[in-house]
Amino acid sequence: MKKIFYRVALLAMASSVALAAQATTPEEDLAAFRNYFKERFPGVQMNEYTNGVYAIDPIGRESWEAIEEFPPYEPFVDDGKEMWETPFANGKTYKDCFPDGPAIASKFPRWDKKQGMVITLPLAINQCRKANGEKPLKYKKGPINNILSYIAYESRGQKTHVIIPKDDPRALEAYEKGKKFYYTRRGQLNFSCATCHLQNAGMRIRSDILSPALGHTTHFPVYRSKWGTVGTLHRRFTGRNKQVRAKPFKAQGEQYRDLEYFLTYMSNGLPLNGPGSRK
Amino acid sequence: MSKKSQLQLLLIATLFGACLSTSYADQPKKASDTRTAKVQQMINDAEMARKKAAKVEGEWRDVGKFIKQAKKALAKGDYVTAMKLAAKAHKQSVLGYRQAISQRELKMPSYLKY
Repeated sequence: MKKIFYRVALLAMASSVALAAQATTPEEDLAAFRNYFKERFPGVQMNEYTNGVYAIDPIGRESWEAIEEFPPYEPFVDDGKEMWETPFANGKTYKDCFPDGPAIASKFPRWDKKQGMVITLPLAINQCRKANGEKPLKYKKGPINNILSYIAYESRGQKTHVIIPKDDPRALEAYEKGKKFYYTRRGQLNFSCATCHLQNAGMRIRSDILSPALGHTTHFPVYRSKWGTVGTLHRRFTGRNKQVRAKPFKAQGEQYRDLEYFLTYMSNGLPLNGPGSRK
Repeated sequence: MSKKSQLQLLLIATLFGACLSTSYADQPKKASDTRTAKVQQMINDAEMARKKAAKVEGEWRDVGKFIKQAKKALAKGDYVTAMKLAAKAHKQSVLGYRQAISQRELKMPSYLKY
């Protein structure tokens, strides 16, 4: 009897170790991610997650809906439209770089085989500017948020659709790096992104409720009341890293682009609804 | 004692006294040089530890600031503050490095069901 018990225990240990070591596919990651939130917040419809914490905070939602009647990001959308339509010094416009624009937000982030890296929308905008002899814009604050707001607004309703091409293993590698970043504890507070936005989503951190990770990327750029302005996703990444007392990485550097690639993939299928307004 | 001997004795005494006063005056200066060197070494060690942590993406937010503040404190002659800051920076760098190494393998949380 004892022998059988030990053999069964050994078998169970061996299979659990094998499970932990087994690589999962992005599709499996997405399914597990969604199922986690379905179980955690059973009453919340999938598309509601695009509203961030307001999908699970009815009191906060009331204030947010009142704010959305006169959205604070509107002036940024208007300025962004002007930027889009204003020719560069060489006479070309953003339309020459993005013929399908301005409703192009769902095309990013994407894997660029030629450049061998994840290309995000802000990066693509600056590549367009450089190619046309214009100075690149800063990635966290300032006018980049205007044009991103305009593009996000025009792209509303499009579905998040990040593709990890199978014909280039480097794309999956970038996704895996972003995934690793997401689940890695860092900083003096020893938190990973998942600690707050998966494990403790819906719990309070001081007076705020932690937002669920599902749908996190759909509403960027975002007007934050705390910032008093619109800011980018990478600005938010920077702030979050600082809040756990880790040294942040460079906006639009490899770490944050890969993180964006993974995180946006986790929202695949959800409609875009940027720019958003948040606390 | 002849006048010449008295003068010689006076000269020797004066020279001896001058030597003594010089060596005593030097001592506080030498002590502060030693302390400066010691604290500077602590700052250097903290900077090396910071770079080691940064190499594995384990640098914590405030370490760079502590090192800068330590250098400023040392420049002002505030050895105690400089030492405290350097020690803090060093400790946090070591912890950050260990954290990054411990997190090298991707560990998926058990609450995600596959």
